[in-house]
Amino acid sequence: MNVGVAHSEVNPNTQVMNSRGMWLTYALGVGMLHIVLLSIPFFSVPVAWTLTNVIHNLGMYVFLHAVKGTPFETPDQGKARLLTHWEQLDYGVQFTSSRKFFTISPIILYFLASFYTKYDPTHFILNTVSLLTVLIPKLPQLHGVRIFGINKY
Amino acid sequence: INHIVHNGGLYKRPFNEAFEETPMLVAVLTYVGYGVLTLFGYLRDFMRQWKIEKCQNATEREEQKDFVPLYQDFENFYNRNLYMRIRDSWNRPICSVPGAKVDMMERVSHDYNWTFTYTGRVIKGIINMGSYNYLGFAQKEGTCQEAAAKVLSQYGAGVCSTRQEMGNLDKHEELEKLVARFLGVESAMTYGMGFATNSMNIPALVGKGCLILSDELNHASLVLGARLSGATIRIFKHNNMQSLEKLLKDAIVHGQPRTRRPWKKILILVEGIYSMEGSIVRLPEVIALKKKYKSYLYLDEAHSIGALGPSGRGVVDYFGLNPEDVDVMMGTFTKSFGAAGGYIGGKKELIDYLRTYSHSAVYATSMSPPVVEQIITSMKCIMGEDGTTVGKARVQQLAENTRYFRRRLKEMGFIIYGNEDSPVVPLMLYMPAKIGAFGREMLKRNIGVVVVGFPATPIIESRARFCLSAAHTKEMLDT
Repeated sequence: MNVGVAHSEVNPNTQVMNSRGMWLTYALGVGMLHIVLLSIPFFSVPVAWTLTNVIHNLGMYVFLHAVKGTPFETPDQGKARLLTHWEQLDYGVQFTSSRKFFTISPIILYFLASFYTKYDPTHFILNTVSLLTVLIPKLPQLHGVRIFGINKY
Repeated sequence: INHIVHNGGLYKRPFNEAFEETPMLVAVLTYVGYGVLTLFGYLRDFMRQWKIEKCQNATEREEQKDFVPLYQDFENFYNRNLYMRIRDSWNRPICSVPGAKVDMMERVSHDYNWTFTYTGRVIKGIINMGSYNYLGFAQKEGTCQEAAAKVLSQYGAGVCSTRQEMGNLDKHEELEKLVARFLGVESAMTYGMGFATNSMNIPALVGKGCLILSDELNHASLVLGARLSGATIRIFKHNNMQSLEKLLKDAIVHGQPRTRRPWKKILILVEGIYSMEGSIVRLPEVIALKKKYKSYLYLDEAHSIGALGPSGRGVVDYFGLNPEDVDVMMGTFTKSFGAAGGYIGGKKELIDYLRTYSHSAVYATSMSPPVVEQIITSMKCIMGEDGTTVGKARVQQLAENTRYFRRRLKEMGFIIYGNEDSPVVPLMLYMPAKIGAFGREMLKRNIGVVVVGFPATPIIESRARFCLSAAHTKEMLDT
């Protein structure tokens, strides 16, 4: 198990989101999730959209902002062990294309969800709260910040 | 994408390199594959934590559960969940000399690759496409073996000392003169381990205040040596001369980062053939850039010495250039010569300096005498000095094998990376499942290959790597 044997990239996790086809796969994955939710007969269209939004934001929060470190041992002697995947992207350089894409995509989902739920108050509150949980950790001011010591080690 | 040669005037022969981009559908399916494996990994971890499934990895003892953990268990995620499933394609024990055909001990696993048991059967005659046996010198009969056996009975197997103390044999002096003559440089020095040659000598050549420009895909030994030296490292895109030129210009114009002083030395680190890509360095352009910007060139010919060039003298011979242009020529004897160890060749002052200041000269034991004799015999054979044309025949056989193999694979429709003339042939498989399946199917057909996947390569570029040898006959390649 040799990380980085064929390239001098110390942490391959930083370049995963930049690779060819990742954005397309991500969009297709969200689309698939939505179709699955739409095909369950109990959910009406607004409920399906809100559920898509909430589940997508939950998944994004867990995989990008909650899980820390890398799934393989890296030769950088543990510099990335306490960093979440979002903080590891592009070695911490802010405003790269992947970061912009992943910031914009929950916003687009939010617009679509609020349109299809016809701006109903309950759905609106749910969608907004879930959008905030996924947008706030992406701010550059919160790079490496752990509020109340949650998820520190 | 086929690279168009911009400085076409410098090249005396066509330079065809191709790195086809991953087809989009394949990339999407690869990501889906990894995603599914990740989700299943989380599921299995969950079951292991709640004791529904037995945990077969090493765990802490009960009384140590409250201590600060030694390892982060997420770092083992990939190892546990993906690597263990296809682990039987690596670390296979072989029990004969790794020539064109090799014998392998058969292993089975009853618990999905967590443990292996030997059935006791030996699979004989596996066509060996994984050893770096470019000229076929890994054999147990022949002149090399007889000479090595004679030296073994005369000098013994161990030297028990470093080069600077009692370990400098007359065989070492003979070998160094021979290597210098082979390469066309003034003098050379040999070391017992190829990896150690790179990692121990780069710190002796550059230090703090120097700049190292290294290729993206340089080997771990070069990266380690560069980091140990304490110099500033900048990376240029693989084999991309525009990127290298831009970096050189920036370095000379801006100087050191904070103080703006000029750099003490600029060293360009490249390899002759890159073992994972199969691409050959654009040496004429690198030498032109080096002369224009007055920097030094360190060429690591680990895979290309003996394998390229009309007389087997490596990548300098392949392009028809002057070996005096390359400041430090480094190479290993492990690949084409069937021995072990590395060498560094260059001007006499440089080698004399390295004899006193290099770490491996002072601290590492010198090469063992039978190994030295193997190198001497095989090198003389390649140069044609032992009176036969066996060496030249082997070099030509390797070139023919390379061209034939690449042409046939392309006709069959596979995506092959790298230069047309390199004996390292990476065949792209992309999806994680194909890595395991390819390794096992090849073994069923009695062919042994090396497969690599993420994270050793970028995520959508996992591959199987074939290393061709002069010992392969056409029938073997046809299978």
